[in-house]
Amino acid sequence: MVTRRTAVGAGLAFASLAGAAGFDACRAPERGSREARSIDALLIDETIEIPRQLAASVRAGRREAAVVGVRLDAAAQAGLARLLDKSQAIAGISSGATLFCLERMAWDHGFRLTARSQWSVGDAHGHACPQDVAAFLDGAQRLAANPAPLVRAYRPSRSDGTLHAWFMQKSARRRLGQGRWEV
Amino acid sequence: MKLPPNVSQADFTAALQAFAGIVGDQWVFTSDEDLELYRDSYSILWGEADERTASAAVAPDNADQVVELVKVANRYRIPIYPISTGKNLGYGGAAPALAGSVVFDLKRMNRIVEIDERHGYVVVEPGVSYFDLYNHIQEKGLKLWIDVPSPGWGSVLGNALDGGVGVTLAPYRNHFEAQCGIEVVLPNGRMMRTGMGALPGARTWQQFKPGFGPRIDGLFKQSNYGVVTKMGFWLMPPPENFATGVVTVPKFRDIIPLVDIIGRLEQSKIVQGLWMLSSPTTGTPGFAAHEAGPSKPQDPRILAILNDPDGVDMDKLEAAARSTGLPFWACDLNFYGPAKLIKAQWDCVRDALAEIPGARFKLNKVRRLPLPPQELANTRDLGPFGIPTLRTFDLGPMFSYEGADVVGHIFFSPVIPRTGEAAIEAMDVFAAIARKYKLPCPPLQFPSSLFERAFLFAVGLPVTRSATVNAKLRDIIRELVAISAERGWGEYRTAPAFYDLIMGVYSYNDHALREFLETIKDAVDPNGIMSPGRYAIWPRHLRDAKV
Repeated sequence: MVTRRTAVGAGLAFASLAGAAGFDACRAPERGSREARSIDALLIDETIEIPRQLAASVRAGRREAAVVGVRLDAAAQAGLARLLDKSQAIAGISSGATLFCLERMAWDHGFRLTARSQWSVGDAHGHACPQDVAAFLDGAQRLAANPAPLVRAYRPSRSDGTLHAWFMQKSARRRLGQGRWEV
Repeated sequence: MKLPPNVSQADFTAALQAFAGIVGDQWVFTSDEDLELYRDSYSILWGEADERTASAAVAPDNADQVVELVKVANRYRIPIYPISTGKNLGYGGAAPALAGSVVFDLKRMNRIVEIDERHGYVVVEPGVSYFDLYNHIQEKGLKLWIDVPSPGWGSVLGNALDGGVGVTLAPYRNHFEAQCGIEVVLPNGRMMRTGMGALPGARTWQQFKPGFGPRIDGLFKQSNYGVVTKMGFWLMPPPENFATGVVTVPKFRDIIPLVDIIGRLEQSKIVQGLWMLSSPTTGTPGFAAHEAGPSKPQDPRILAILNDPDGVDMDKLEAAARSTGLPFWACDLNFYGPAKLIKAQWDCVRDALAEIPGARFKLNKVRRLPLPPQELANTRDLGPFGIPTLRTFDLGPMFSYEGADVVGHIFFSPVIPRTGEAAIEAMDVFAAIARKYKLPCPPLQFPSSLFERAFLFAVGLPVTRSATVNAKLRDIIRELVAISAERGWGEYRTAPAFYDLIMGVYSYNDHALREFLETIKDAVDPNGIMSPGRYAIWPRHLRDAKV
C-alpha cells in the first residue's frame, strides 16, 4: 500500500525509525534522560484541526515538555518571545504557514529548523501516524544542528492539507530578539 | 566569503573589524548560516546568479552607532543596506537591492521613544514592530489605536518608508502620510531631523508636519538617502463603535455610479472607513488578490461563464445573474465612531446611493469597541480593529504553479483611476493575462480602495523555487508592466527584481524624475554607499558600470 506520508530532508531518516521504534517512541521519555531534557516545549498549532488521536498521543508522549498552543496573534507575542528566549530546543506540529512564521521569529532567538517531516491530514487520522510523529520527534532530538537544505523547503500554506512535525534547536549566536527596550 | 562589488578583501576585512569595534563582535555576521537568514524568502530570483544576497550583516543598538558605522562604510566604500525588521515579504524581505551589500539590521533598535496620548502620536525606532506597539499600548492602557498592515510583524517605521498601507480610517491608512518627523543618518554620517525637529528643543516635532522651508520627508520614502533611525506617527483615538454597511447594486455596469458616488462621499469626509467590492454573482470576495483558487459562485450557469476559456462574457454573466436574483456587486463600508455618527453617515450613504435603481442597503449591528475576546477570536480579519496578526498567512495561493510548489508571492501593484470605467478595463486586462498564463487567481479580481483618491489593483503572483517557472513569472510581470504603462497605470511599489523595470516606465520628459533622483544621490552620497539600487536610484559609479 502506498502511503501519502512524505518525509523531507533530515526527516527521512527518522520516518524510517517509526516502524521499529514506534511504540517506544510514544511512551513518555524517562525522567532525566537526555531526550527528555532536550525539548523545552512542544508547540501545537491551534489554528488548524489536528486529529484528536494524534494530538493526544503526542501530548502524552511529551509529558516532560511544556505543551503550548500556538496562535500567532498580538496577544500571544510576548509569551512566545519569552518561550523562545528561554528555550534551547522546541518541537511542534503545525501547518506550513504557522511553521513559516514561527521559524522566522525563532531565527532572531538563535534557533534553526533542524528537522521536519510532513503528513497528509488524511493520513494523520490513521493509527500509525501518532507513532510516526512521536518517533520523528524523538529521532529529531538526536540530530545535530546541521540541517539539509530540504528541511527548510516546504510549502508555507495553511490550507494544503499538510501537517508538519518539526524540531528547532538553538545553535546560532545571532540572537536579535532579546526583548524590546523601554525608554 | 562573499565580497561587496568593487571592494578588496583587505578593505572588506578592515571594514568588518571596524564595524565590530563599534557594535561588538557578536553583532557582526558573516557566516553562511547567518547570512542565509537575510535572503528574501519570496525572491523570484532564488538560487539564480542575480539573486541579491548580502556579504555580511551588522546589527547596531542605537543611532550613534549607526553614525559611526556609516562613516566606516564611507571610508572603505562598502555598500550598506539598512533594514528594519526584514519582514517586507513580497517586496524584498531582508535582502539588499545590490548583491554583496552589508545589511544593517536595525532590529535591536526597538525603542518606543515617546508616546503621547494627549496629542495622539508615537516616536519609534526601526525595530519596533506593529505587535510591539500594539502590545505596549495595551499594557499601558493608553487610549490610542494604530493602523496596521497585513501581516503585523513588520516594522512600523519600515512599512511607512516602503509605502505600506493599512485598513482603518483614511487619514491613517497611508502610513507614510501619517508620519510626522524623521531622524535620519545621512550618507556622510551626519544626523538630521526633519520638520520641527530641526529646531533644538522643539516641542511640536510630532504636531506640525510642514516645518520651515521645503518639506523633504518624502525624500526618505522608497529611496536611499539615509538611514532613518526615528520616526513619529500620528495615532487615532480608539473609536467607540464599529459597523459595516452593505450596499448591493444589481448590474455589472452599476459599478460606475457606485464608485463615483462613494468617491464624492469620501472627498466630503463622510465615508472615511475602508470600503470593499465583492460580487455575490461571481463569488469573488473582497481582496481577491490574496485568495487562492477559483471563485465560488453558487450557480453552475455562472461557473460555466466564469470558466469560459475565451474569457468572461459580461453580458452573459449579467443575464445569468439576473435570473438567479443575485446582485452583481456588493460593497462593504466600514464605519467608526459614536453610534449616532455611524447612523448619520449611513443615512448619507443611503441617500446618495439610492439613485442607483435596485440598490439595496443593510447596516449591520453597531458593535461596541473593543470587541469581547471571544468575538475577536472568531474574527478572521482583525486589521479593521487596529489589531496586528499573522492571519494573513491563512491566505495566499500556496499550492503549485506549472508543477512547482508555490512558496510565496509577489504583488504586481498598479494604481488605476478611481472610476468604475477604469475598474472594468483593469478587470478585463488582468483577467486576460491570468487566463493566458493560467495564473492561480480568480477569473475576475477587483480593485481596492486603500488609497484615498485612486484604486489599487494588486495582482498576487506566485513565487516558486524553480528557476524556470520564476523566469516565466518575471516575463509575465514585464508584460503586465508594459500593458499597464500603455494605459497610464503605474505601480506604487515593487520587489527589488523589478525596481529598474518600474522606474523605467516613469519616464516623462526623457526620465527627468530618475535623473533628478540621481542628481540628489550624487550630491548626498558621493561614494554611493547607501542602499545602492533601492527603488532604482543608483550612484554614479554603478550607473557608469551599467552603461
